[in-house]
Amino acid sequence: MAGNKGRGRAAYTFNIEAVGFGRGDKLPDVALKPPPLFPDTDYKPVPLKAGEGEDYMLALKQELRETMKRMPYYIETPEEKQDIERYSKRYMKVYKEEWIPDWRRLPREMMPRKKCKKAGPKSEKAKDTGKGASLTNTADVLKKIEELEKRGDGEKSDEENEEKEGSKEKSKEGDEEEDDDAAEQEEYDEEEQEEENDYINSYFEDGDDFGADSDDNMDEATY
Amino acid sequence: MTQAEIKLCSLLLQEHFGEIVEKIGVHLIRTGSQPLRVIAHDTGTSLDQVKKALCVLIQHNLVIYQVHKRGVVEYEAQCSRVLRMLRYPRYIYTAKTLYSDTGELIVEELLLNGKMTMSAVVKKVADRLTETMEDGKTMDYAEVSNTFVRLADTHFVQRCPWVPATENSDPGPLPLAPILVISEKDMYLVPKLSLIGKGKRRRSSDEDAAGEPKAKRPKHNRDNKEPIPDDGIYWQANLDRFHQHFRDQAIVSAVANRMDQIFRSLPVGYNISKQVLDQYLTLLADDPLEFVGKSGDSGGGMYVINLHKALGSLATATLESVVQERFGSRCARIFRLVLQKKHLEQKQVEDFAMIPAKEAKDMLYKMLSGNFISLQEIPKTPDHAPSRTFYLYTVNILSAARMLLHRCYKSIANLIERRQFETKENKRLLEKSQRVEAIIASMQATGAEDAQLQEIEEMITVPERQQLETLKRNVNKLDASEIQVDETIFLLESYIESTMKRQ
Repeated sequence: MAGNKGRGRAAYTFNIEAVGFGRGDKLPDVALKPPPLFPDTDYKPVPLKAGEGEDYMLALKQELRETMKRMPYYIETPEEKQDIERYSKRYMKVYKEEWIPDWRRLPREMMPRKKCKKAGPKSEKAKDTGKGASLTNTADVLKKIEELEKRGDGEKSDEENEEKEGSKEKSKEGDEEEDDDAAEQEEYDEEEQEEENDYINSYFEDGDDFGADSDDNMDEATY
Repeated sequence: MTQAEIKLCSLLLQEHFGEIVEKIGVHLIRTGSQPLRVIAHDTGTSLDQVKKALCVLIQHNLVIYQVHKRGVVEYEAQCSRVLRMLRYPRYIYTAKTLYSDTGELIVEELLLNGKMTMSAVVKKVADRLTETMEDGKTMDYAEVSNTFVRLADTHFVQRCPWVPATENSDPGPLPLAPILVISEKDMYLVPKLSLIGKGKRRRSSDEDAAGEPKAKRPKHNRDNKEPIPDDGIYWQANLDRFHQHFRDQAIVSAVANRMDQIFRSLPVGYNISKQVLDQYLTLLADDPLEFVGKSGDSGGGMYVINLHKALGSLATATLESVVQERFGSRCARIFRLVLQKKHLEQKQVEDFAMIPAKEAKDMLYKMLSGNFISLQEIPKTPDHAPSRTFYLYTVNILSAARMLLHRCYKSIANLIERRQFETKENKRLLEKSQRVEAIIASMQATGAEDAQLQEIEEMITVPERQQLETLKRNVNKLDASEIQVDETIFLLESYIESTMKRQ
């Protein structure tokens, strides 16, 4: 409807003179492709400012770039395997100072959940007192078994313990944890606890005739 | 946030903090406020990594957190603050011009670390300054403290919001996140510290930061278990104050240029008599630049600096300059004409500019498609028939400024990408040259002969040296361009902000 030309002839809906073209002028060709990626410019760019200030700022900028890479705030991505393992790489590792944030200024959830691979002094003390006092206590024995099983998970009781402590001690433990490089992921407690075991929970439920069934069908392949 | 700004933020974050922080930061800029688990899920990053990244971003004032009802903490990124990272060299250099090396290092440390306690800053800066001094000399903490206090007094550094001290001894259940407060009157209050000491020089065995494996290093931060006197009182650089300074500088230099134009023949001296000063001010007030306005006659005439107009003039001058460099001086003439007359028809442009119709047409359309100029329709009849409508060319400074600003962001992003590309292309050669330098340095330290040093130097061939020279030249050019484009960004942003405030 709007695009119809009157009876096959080109007729503009507006006064072409107003736009600046004369009637009957040859209009420039329609562009059939996108403009070039790097178009030629008619005019060369103006030279950059040069001066003492500019030079100094340039040097500053480049220095800052290098410095930032060495600061503890720059988090390295674990590199993919190099094509050739270079011996020198081991000795060219730049030393980075540790940085511990001030936990008092951050939301509680920011603290990394601790994995007690190497138990911190607090948890060790707790274990020790438990050991000395009541070994015969079945609850403690069960707790010990639990701890052994869930090695590497943050235990609920330990966490609560830690949260009650003052922030100073928290940061101290935080230091040690990070020094020991125990920065393991802990995504979802439930899933990890489940995956720790090799055994699927349903296998050995009471009342199952697990052993009995397999004898009946000798057709099935045994693995 | 526009795509161009997001792209630029991404490049800046990646250069300064690495890819993990970049991923989290950019995600937050794109999506807005989000809680921790959602961030981890959406970016496919482990919770631990997200926490680390957020800690870094919060430390550097790039992300803030807020506790929402239902006990959820949400994190929000500040895109414009990320873009400020481009300006770090300028802030540091300004501090140097105002407060010399000590001031420079104080601001540099604050910018590099986001926030620090005063005692930490003083110690670090004293150590750094001592390094540069002659053997046997050290920098006293008191001197550094004095400079710090001066910076606080002139508001170039300010206190960060702090955790309010709780009165009750029974803490009760810990809050999900501390609520930080800030009060105007305390923002520049320097704690009463008696910092006594001198800067320490690092011993030469400690200097080789690259060579020593981790195990050998003593743990510096475990050494001093002294209580920190101003624990919990953090300071940051006050960027707005620097911006004020830049703005003042820009206006002063613009006026100075103006004065030069008008009074080139007069000798410039500092003992100007009152009458001459009066003359100057009157001239300035009458000047079409409109920087200075006369408001009332009390006390012999009150003169006011019209900041908004000043910024507008600076922005306009920037636009004019860009048109001139991009399209030529005749185009610039047309542009200035349309600016001056506010609205012009096609025919009028040709007449006033004294440029033939065809060329004028061509130039106008070039500027139109570049969005420097826009068309204003004024219908003569209610049916808006095109044949009976005025089409007037006009310059909308605000929208042209926005357009130019957007282009600046794109430009800097391109500059950074190109620089990274150049560096990557020559990575092997760069690494080789670094290794050679390290070898030479260690050989010089152990006293090697010139012939041996020469041999090592020849490991880099002549064409390789040329390649390195070219690379250095290019990288320098690209870096310098970034700094200069940022100056334009500052002007345009200041103008846009000032205009928006008045609406």
